[in-house]
Amino acid sequence: MCIANSYKKKTRSNRPVLDVQPNNSSYENALKQSLLWVPLSTMANQRVLPQSKETLLQNYNKRLKDDIKSIMDNFTEIVKTAKVEDETQVSRPTQAEQDHYEMHVRAANIVRAGESLMKLVSDLKQFLILNDFPSVNDAISQQNQQLRALQDECDKKLTSLRDEIAVDLYELEEEYYSSSYSQWNSTDLPLCEAYRRRDSWASPDSSSSSTQEDREDAVGTPSQEANAQHHVNGHGTTSAEKP
Amino acid sequence: MANERLKLLEEVEKEIAMVLQCAGNIVLELSRDKHNASFLDRQLVQFQTSINRVESELSAQIRYLTQVATGQPHEGSTYSTRKDCQMSLNRAEYAKVKLGELGRTCEAMLEQQQI
Repeated sequence: MCIANSYKKKTRSNRPVLDVQPNNSSYENALKQSLLWVPLSTMANQRVLPQSKETLLQNYNKRLKDDIKSIMDNFTEIVKTAKVEDETQVSRPTQAEQDHYEMHVRAANIVRAGESLMKLVSDLKQFLILNDFPSVNDAISQQNQQLRALQDECDKKLTSLRDEIAVDLYELEEEYYSSSYSQWNSTDLPLCEAYRRRDSWASPDSSSSSTQEDREDAVGTPSQEANAQHHVNGHGTTSAEKP
Repeated sequence: MANERLKLLEEVEKEIAMVLQCAGNIVLELSRDKHNASFLDRQLVQFQTSINRVESELSAQIRYLTQVATGQPHEGSTYSTRKDCQMSLNRAEYAKVKLGELGRTCEAMLEQQQI
């Protein structure tokens, strides 16, 4: 291999076969060493210093340039190596074997550079998601707008439903609380009863009937049973007792 | 806007794969006894186009991030509006349940009266 390399220096370009770029693991170690993270709990006087975004972006730029250069150089050298030369300093099988090995290594370098570019794209995606504030703000405001529109529509429909049901509910309550099946106390008046009492208080002629109703309220269930004896259908007692 | 940039980066990934594929096709064609010159030219043009596009797109993205990034974490959130919307949907669901109960009660009463 040393002989082949020495011949290579004379005949081919001086481009080295092996890439001089560090692999990802050593690069990451260097990156970690450059970080100036100091735990606050250990050192009271020192602050936590994160890696600056400029350094990170310069790092991305360097990786991009190096990977593109590696792909171009290695591909160019493969194409040059593919040329068949008539005059060789070593025997043809030896030269062929050397060329074969060189092409393998350069192809591996191209694949490694491509893999490194994919990793760079992944890092850029992550950086974009975390630090592209204009797009994050747009996404948040758009989401907020959609959620508010949905909430407003839901509340509007509930309000219209409430207005429609209020009328029917009044009639239902009137029917229910004037029947023998209702069980209510004076502190929890239904809507129809509250309106009726307001009307009865307004007219003095119905004061006796109102007091009688109060006594019935105080008694509770036995008074309802008594009312049921007077009225077969179970309708309201107030209608019969009102003058 | 964010989705467009992420989609652009996905396109770049496809271009990188295209670069490697073109390089492989060229080497494969060179390994044959008789080369197809037009095929080689097409693959070479594709290779050069793809690698130039990869470099230009990634450089543009890094330039944009240099202008936009602040290094601080983003503290925006949609939690409050999401919670309000959830409560509104819960109100609607509760009203639906109660109306269902009322409807069943009325139907039961009507059936009893018919009997």
